[in-house]
Amino acid sequence: MIQFENASVTYPGGVQALKNLTLQIPAGQMMVIVGLSGAGKSTLIRAVNGLVPLTEGDVTVDGVSVRHARPKQLREIRSRIGMIFQTFNLVNRTTVLNNVLMGRLHDTGTLRSMLAMYKREDVEIAMQALERVGIVEKAYVRASNLSGGQQQRVGIARALAQQPKVILADEPVASLDPPTSHVVMRDLQRINHELKMTTIINLHFLDLAKVYGERIIGMRSGELVYDGSGAQADENVFRDIYGRSLTADDMLGEPAAAG
Amino acid sequence: MAITWWAASEEFGIDFDVVRLLTNLTRGAGILAEFWPPALDFVPRTIGPMIETIQMAIIAAVIGCATALPVAFLASRVSTPNRFVFVLDRSVLSVVRALPDILYAIVFVAALGVGPLPGILALILFNIAVVAKLLSETVDGVDPGPIEAARAAGGGKAQTVRWAIFPQVLPNYVAYSLYAFELNIRASAVIGIVGAGGIGNLINTERRFFRYDNLTVILIEIFLLVFVVELISIFLRRRLV
Repeated sequence: MIQFENASVTYPGGVQALKNLTLQIPAGQMMVIVGLSGAGKSTLIRAVNGLVPLTEGDVTVDGVSVRHARPKQLREIRSRIGMIFQTFNLVNRTTVLNNVLMGRLHDTGTLRSMLAMYKREDVEIAMQALERVGIVEKAYVRASNLSGGQQQRVGIARALAQQPKVILADEPVASLDPPTSHVVMRDLQRINHELKMTTIINLHFLDLAKVYGERIIGMRSGELVYDGSGAQADENVFRDIYGRSLTADDMLGEPAAAG
Repeated sequence: MAITWWAASEEFGIDFDVVRLLTNLTRGAGILAEFWPPALDFVPRTIGPMIETIQMAIIAAVIGCATALPVAFLASRVSTPNRFVFVLDRSVLSVVRALPDILYAIVFVAALGVGPLPGILALILFNIAVVAKLLSETVDGVDPGPIEAARAAGGGKAQTVRWAIFPQVLPNYVAYSLYAFELNIRASAVIGIVGAGGIGNLINTERRFFRYDNLTVILIEIFLLVFVVELISIFLRRRLV
């Protein structure tokens, strides 16, 4: 379980990206965060694994405080949390397998990792992760030679290779075309169901949020303004979250079946 | 303009005079004529020192570039473990870079005596300075995305450098190392003049005896060697990058 308690983040420039947030995310839930850009979605996600440190309050993962974790503890917490990024964040110049093996770094000694001597089990885990997202045949291809959708699958495989309890996805489909977006979202949904991983996803396409969000929370200027099920969230709810009327840009506009 | 005037002026600068330069140009012609034709029978005596030059350049490039790799990562804000190491490493690098290779050669020859060893040490320092500087600036500009990914996956600092940064800068590192090797061939001709081994020693001897025809042989050989090394390096860069 992930728990935010009066959590705030004020950036050095004075911008308050998260304001006194209290929120519980039970284990295994698929939660989608919606809100305009700048509403604090990315900050919330990055507060979970400490990439963005809180300035007030606390966030705990399975009871362990992220804010007060020592560097070693923080690495331990992070190893149990896989992360997926909008721009995939792959090393383009190296192979798909090497990218996925990054998910095993937490379990690899420094000397071993310097010499690229990953343990057999770790390579096996990485290959299984690639299998789960259906691109195991690309293991020895350079990451830059893959399509956007395939690259995001490598990103997902890297997160899965950690064998995490939590998956954080920061706008995972914002760089993809509509059909590919649905494929990737369904991958995430399937992983959530099959592996029972708590999944937190930032989305700015409201129709996607409604289809895939077991639970939806709405953010506006750093504050929680909505918390409910995907089924409950209708146009009025989204209008409230956004503080304006909705436009075509707020929708992916392609039904899930098209993927 | 003002700075140029300052540098060339009679009172403050080096007393640069165009008229005198042109009138004295003819006097050099006699000496220049002694450079030609090259004394081809001198070629066999150059082979040993030329091979020594190549060996010095290889050894210095391998040791210097290998050392430069960690030094470069410590000298970039992106990959340094902390501010103290960063500032220390940068300061040492700028001090090392401030002196030209020939001064290191003079110091090492004074300390260790004439021979290739002081030359190799001077070239190693020179290679560390050049490659670490270029590489640390390349590291400054890497894509931060993979670094974030490695940190999020629970990777340590060294692991992040190894798997998120190093693959990004590897092609540049190879290119800089080959460039350092090219520079070594050129530099070893100069540092040999102060007794640090290689072809430069021979240049110094022949110069002292005014055997300019022998010098021409050496100059042509250096030119050819540098040319061939450059061709090889272009080929390798294409293959590896």
